[in-house]
Amino acid sequence: MLAPAGGRRGEPPEFRAQRLSAPLVVTLGVLLAVEAVGGMVLFFARLTWSSRPGEELHVWCGIALTLVYAVYQWRHWSRVAPFRARFDYLLGLLASLSMALVNATGLWLGVAWFLEHRPGAGRPAAPLLTALHDVGSMLVLTFVGAHVGAVLMRDRRAGDPTGG
Amino acid sequence: MSAAPAFSVFSAVSELFVTAGVFTIVRRNWTRRTFPLGAFLAVALFEAFVNVLYMSHRAAQASTGAEPLPAGLKVSFAAHGLLSLLAYLVFVVLGIFAYQDQKAGRYYFRERPALTWSFLAVWVVSVGSGEALFAVRYLL
Repeated sequence: MLAPAGGRRGEPPEFRAQRLSAPLVVTLGVLLAVEAVGGMVLFFARLTWSSRPGEELHVWCGIALTLVYAVYQWRHWSRVAPFRARFDYLLGLLASLSMALVNATGLWLGVAWFLEHRPGAGRPAAPLLTALHDVGSMLVLTFVGAHVGAVLMRDRRAGDPTGG
Repeated sequence: MSAAPAFSVFSAVSELFVTAGVFTIVRRNWTRRTFPLGAFLAVALFEAFVNVLYMSHRAAQASTGAEPLPAGLKVSFAAHGLLSLLAYLVFVVLGIFAYQDQKAGRYYFRERPALTWSFLAVWVVSVGSGEALFAVRYLL
């Protein structure tokens, strides 16, 4: 998701810093953080007190995250394509697949949430879908962290003649 | 006490093998031996798509209220769930860093003993709390 343009090694750090502070990336990061924290709060509260605090915010931010991520991924892929046999590309692919899983299951749960709020509607129980969404969220955080870390480590090594 | 579902037993036992795998991966890196990428991938995939998925599914089932559970047990389940997610995330990220560093002749875990021991402690607490919850729920 954050591989360097054209796969160049040793790209000047200011380019990476510029990209990481671009409004689209910052928006994506903030939404991801809000969704991650909100998801953990929901997980804990749902299980412990059978309540779902902040669920409406989680749904709306999830929709915004899906849209912002789609734009980000489109622009990112047009910059880093084609796929290369490199570890950071593999991690980026895993991160984007996890993001697709979590967004798809999240939107499905969001539809269930909207239906549930219609007058007279019952409460849909979807434990497997919720579990897939939870695991998908964990994988997103894992592979986004690993991908960004791998790219930054590669930058560091490229800028260090000892390979460090 | 209620009878343990077969998959809960499988998950509780397999978690011990997963832990052995995690310690083996760290130990091999610590002793400057080849990074076991195959074992790392197998452990990471198995843990995500079998154990964590099952744990999340059980948590989601429990939250429907179909199974009445004591409040303390619910809080412990939720805390264990969050800790497991954190432990998994840290395991995969550090494992990937260790693999990358080792290709450059560096030994990530050995060069970061505080981080390594902290991670192993979190992992042990995470697995230990899961085994304890299994025992409290089904064996005691």
